[in-house]
Amino acid sequence: MSDHDDTIQTPENETHSLVETPEELGWERTLYTDPDVAKHPAVRELRRVFPHDILEVIRFRDETTIHVTPAKLREICFFLRDHREIAFNFLTDLTAVDMLKLRTAPRFDVVVQLYSLPNRVRLRLKAGVNDGQSVPSLVPIWNGANWLERETFDMFGILFEGHPNLRRMLLPDDWDEGHPLRKDYPLRGWKEFPVYNTERTVPRSRTRWTGRGV
Amino acid sequence: MGLIDDRFEKNVFVTSLDFLFNWGRRSSLWWLQFGLACCAIEMIGASMSRWDLAERFGMLYRASPRQADLMIVAGTVTKKMAPIVRTLYDQMPEPKWVVSMGSCANVGGPYDTYAVVQGVDQVVPVDIYVPGCPPTPESLYYGILQLQNKVIKYETMAKKHGIEAAEAERQADRLETMAGMRA
Amino acid sequence: MATTSSDITAPSDAPFVNPNASPTGTLTVSDERMLDNGDRLMTLNMGPQHPSTHGVMRVLLKLDGEIVVDCDPVIGYLHRGTEKLGEAHRYAQLTPWTDRTDYVAAPLNNLAYILTVEKLCNVEAPERAQYWRVIMAELSRIASHLVWLGTHALDIGALSMSLYCFRERELILDIFESFCGARLTTNMMEIGGFSRPIPDGLVAQIRNFLRIFPQRQREYTTLLDANPIWMTRTKGVGIISPEAAISYSLTGACLRGSGINYDVRKATPYLVYDRLEFEVPLGQHGDTYDRYLVRQEEMRQSIRLITQALDHVEHMDTPLMAYESAYVIPPHKGTMTTAEDMQRHFVWTIKGFNPPVGEAWCSIEHSKGEMGYYLVSDGGPLPYRFRIRTPDFVNLSVLPHMAQGAMLADMVALIGTIDIVLGSVDR
Repeated sequence: MSDHDDTIQTPENETHSLVETPEELGWERTLYTDPDVAKHPAVRELRRVFPHDILEVIRFRDETTIHVTPAKLREICFFLRDHREIAFNFLTDLTAVDMLKLRTAPRFDVVVQLYSLPNRVRLRLKAGVNDGQSVPSLVPIWNGANWLERETFDMFGILFEGHPNLRRMLLPDDWDEGHPLRKDYPLRGWKEFPVYNTERTVPRSRTRWTGRGV
Repeated sequence: MGLIDDRFEKNVFVTSLDFLFNWGRRSSLWWLQFGLACCAIEMIGASMSRWDLAERFGMLYRASPRQADLMIVAGTVTKKMAPIVRTLYDQMPEPKWVVSMGSCANVGGPYDTYAVVQGVDQVVPVDIYVPGCPPTPESLYYGILQLQNKVIKYETMAKKHGIEAAEAERQADRLETMAGMRA
Repeated sequence: MATTSSDITAPSDAPFVNPNASPTGTLTVSDERMLDNGDRLMTLNMGPQHPSTHGVMRVLLKLDGEIVVDCDPVIGYLHRGTEKLGEAHRYAQLTPWTDRTDYVAAPLNNLAYILTVEKLCNVEAPERAQYWRVIMAELSRIASHLVWLGTHALDIGALSMSLYCFRERELILDIFESFCGARLTTNMMEIGGFSRPIPDGLVAQIRNFLRIFPQRQREYTTLLDANPIWMTRTKGVGIISPEAAISYSLTGACLRGSGINYDVRKATPYLVYDRLEFEVPLGQHGDTYDRYLVRQEEMRQSIRLITQALDHVEHMDTPLMAYESAYVIPPHKGTMTTAEDMQRHFVWTIKGFNPPVGEAWCSIEHSKGEMGYYLVSDGGPLPYRFRIRTPDFVNLSVLPHMAQGAMLADMVALIGTIDIVLGSVDR
């Protein structure tokens, strides 16, 4: 077996090429949290390359959120990942929010949290879709999107076009009661559990104890 | 034999051999390694160095239900998992006991949601309920000691009146315990 | 050795190279060994009840003799609807449910959630509370790694390791019990700091632990590091290349074992980590042995962090809790004696507070990787969306990639090396 004496490396000895910090001006890390959101390098570049697909840019605390059209989501993510200076090469999270109580259309917001390993900054992309509309899948870009998209489909019912294996993840495969994280789905579900225990004599009654939001 | 008869006259052990069998049955309950959630970590902790459930109480955990006579349901039972819990219970040979450990197994715990069965007694009959979230290993110990009392009762009934009577009394006792959990 | 499942897409175009290739050639099964219907592949179910799956997870294996051709993890047996519960309870009420996602390291989950709420509300905890949070977070990181090491070694065959690791873990659980009253599901972090004073004798208890633990950890390294059985079972098993690690969004020791230096404590520092000195261990080959060494070293670095933080905080007597904020619980003494604090306490407890409209993402370096919370607030007392990004869920997706070409006996090592806790995977 090979020798493993020098297995543990401290960062000073060896850095991987994917985490080098770029030195050119115009792409400094401080620009990502600059109060003027137009100076944000990703916003600048996206507005240059995808001028019609950037719907809105929001800055809250030190986070930037970019609303994009869902049809171009995959191209935008490819662009952000392969851009030499911006390099958002790490997919942190992919989920959705049901905006039913906050606006009429579109119903869902697919939220993609990205992270740039070289620049150490985060970015959030949001794509608004309606019920039944599908979003291009990000699996060709990152393999990590596979399970995240399956879970989003399971919880919300959003279809991801191009996903190799879109089926239920956390709920049983034969779950026919809908998608739980939608706002019109009750906390306790629609159906009662069929009792298996034939030796049980006293049924259990469920009391309401939260009172609101349920 | 006569010496022991006189000494244990008012007690339940009739012969020294029966005493040995009873002691053996209750002191070597082999439990099915079936931890579901957080309570499993406390159950594992109870069988580790500090609270030595395995060595001191003779309780070994077995991976196969065919070799176990106790099932400690430790953790939340979800609707996806419930049929499997029932299958495992059915695979255990008689006599078998079930300890429901923790709030989730007792009544569904803090999770009153679409995916959680509100108590494992909707799936299998339960002999002992151990409350806590999670119960400390000491609480689990208390539950196991109560269970050992139940095992003694079963054994003495079986000796005196036969297996069928013992089974009947065990089921009745179990139903009484579960009825106490009516919500 | 082509696989039938199409969700295993190698990030590069290079053909798959079997990392477990024997010196004499690739592993093969002789052609005479066919099953009845002429199909070579056998489907084996590593069912939900299994001693080595670390909880209730099912792995469907397609086997060609002893070699795993494909594996399909089926999860969701512990899905309890925490995210839906988050939409039905107030911000301050949600901390106990966060404990129960990753139950072996409960304070770290609390910390991630509380930091997100604080970011949303723009509250900052005072410095003394931040140091104590670091101490508790690092203690819980050690506790989590001890459970990992105990169960991983137990699965591979080193049965005595589980006893040693849980023995040390009991010391940490005693510290948690002195601090907040609970061993496992601690609910110890609060918005704005800590509302109760630090108990007497806690510092002595932690110093005692810091004295005992390093020598105990040397016992573990003596037992396993150069053990030929351990090395044969873990070296070369489950190799993840750096590109695959980034593509699968791995974090934590799975990523650092492959050589990528991404630790949230160093990359985007939170609490007081930028003032403390510690190093981030990196692996070289990306196999199970490297991940084991990385986690062992992380435990040593955690001891270093706790020692530094304790030296800072031992003689501090500044407040532990942010005050004068609508989002923070009033101090206990004030609640009991003054009318304003009592009214504020009543309103805070019963009605809850209304954070500003917006959304916040905050992630920490959890023991298993990067744990992030995403909260969307609509201005009401209940969160609008409560999203938990757990490291195990994303890390587990690399299992089919690692299991291709592995032997059946390696499956146990692979599941153990990802370090999953099913409560965190399923939520």
